[in-house]
Amino acid sequence: MTMDEDRQGFAAEYALGTLDSDERAQAEALLLVDPEFVAEVKRWERRLGELNVLVAPVEPPAPLWEQIKARVADAGPAEPMRLPEVAVAPAAAAAAPSAQVIDLTRRVRRWRALTAATAALAACLIGVVVARDLRPDLMPSGLRPNTRVVERVIEKEVVREGPSARPAQLVAVFQKDEQSPAFVMSVDVDKRTVTVRQVAAERLADKSYQLWIATAPGAAPQSLGVLGNDEFTVKATLAAYDPAVINNATFGISLEPLGGSPTDRPTGPVIHAKLLQVTPGQ
Amino acid sequence: MLTSAELVWLMAAVAKGDQAAFERLYVATRAKLYGVALRILRRSDLADEVLQETYLKIWHSAGSFDPKVASPITWMVAIARNRSLDLIRKKSEVSLEDEPAAAEAAGEEPNPLARREMTEELRRLLGCLGQLQEDRRRMVLLAYYSGWSREQLAVKFDAPANTIKTWLRRSLMEIRECLGS
Repeated sequence: MTMDEDRQGFAAEYALGTLDSDERAQAEALLLVDPEFVAEVKRWERRLGELNVLVAPVEPPAPLWEQIKARVADAGPAEPMRLPEVAVAPAAAAAAPSAQVIDLTRRVRRWRALTAATAALAACLIGVVVARDLRPDLMPSGLRPNTRVVERVIEKEVVREGPSARPAQLVAVFQKDEQSPAFVMSVDVDKRTVTVRQVAAERLADKSYQLWIATAPGAAPQSLGVLGNDEFTVKATLAAYDPAVINNATFGISLEPLGGSPTDRPTGPVIHAKLLQVTPGQ
Repeated sequence: MLTSAELVWLMAAVAKGDQAAFERLYVATRAKLYGVALRILRRSDLADEVLQETYLKIWHSAGSFDPKVASPITWMVAIARNRSLDLIRKKSEVSLEDEPAAAEAAGEEPNPLARREMTEELRRLLGCLGQLQEDRRRMVLLAYYSGWSREQLAVKFDAPANTIKTWLRRSLMEIRECLGS
């Protein structure tokens, strides 16, 4: 698959640095799952990185080194990053799954039960990647599952390094398959907005993608709107929902007739499902 | 500054957990990375924090550094820039009042003294930048050196943010074509 023009421009602008924080979070989500995007960003970082030669060096305050040393000592030896094991394939089940993964799995089932009640879950639903307030540096590059898993939801959760005063932001990548992200979604809990960027989803002339939210297990999905056919990003408001509700909500994208579902429920296959997991206590 | 080959060697040692190598890497690169962060953040307390995070990440990710894909210094600078940009974007959404005069002073003119350090790659890149229209070139440099967003560029260049986006992307594609790689 070759990168479409928008994704190339997105990678270039990420490296240049002109994206806003929402878009940066989306790009960082793509960096976790999309090797082509990673390669493109690296090429741009190299091309533009030469400009650093002209930046005047400035000596940092001397005590900084002691602080860095202390933090490195706290963090332990340089090892391939800390990340919870991902329950992807049966082989991984040997490693005791963390409570978090179990919880996520339960939520996968919830979403499935939900979609089964409303629409057939499409066979192409393969992967969902969740990251909270992305820290791509914590992601080992080799973590991506290399077995093809059909009809299995893959979860990765990035754990934050420590508390932060940053506003809550949740990001997820919706994938057609392991190599092909279709949508990236970011949710700003404080501002109560959700932004969906169509990355490589097939653009169909006679169909529309529609975004849904399910606020609780078993709750009926409610439409957040139809994703524009020509637009790359769509911003929907979550103003009607409490931040606590948003934190625990499940999001889905369904394929609908042009203009959206004729009913108030998803009617077409749910091509992408989305789980948001908030790391407890943060 | 050490040569690129020396930095590659240090990175390999750091990847194995060599703390002495890490300190040498820090000594060799700290002023450059701090300069990069400070230029974008314009506040030393923020630059201090970013520098710590940057070296923490370098310590943890040295093993994933690939000398075939990146040079050590551009790799490290990219980490420092991305950290700085993540921070400034979150901050500036809350308060962009950080007096525009300071932003202006940060300017886009790079340090002329460093020109003697110019690499062949940089010469080519500057050649390509020189082929862009004056204001497009300034946009790219303001974005790279001072971390300006589309919105900030839109104000300065008195154009809608979407137009800025189109110009930036076109400029970047022209640079890529010009570089031929």
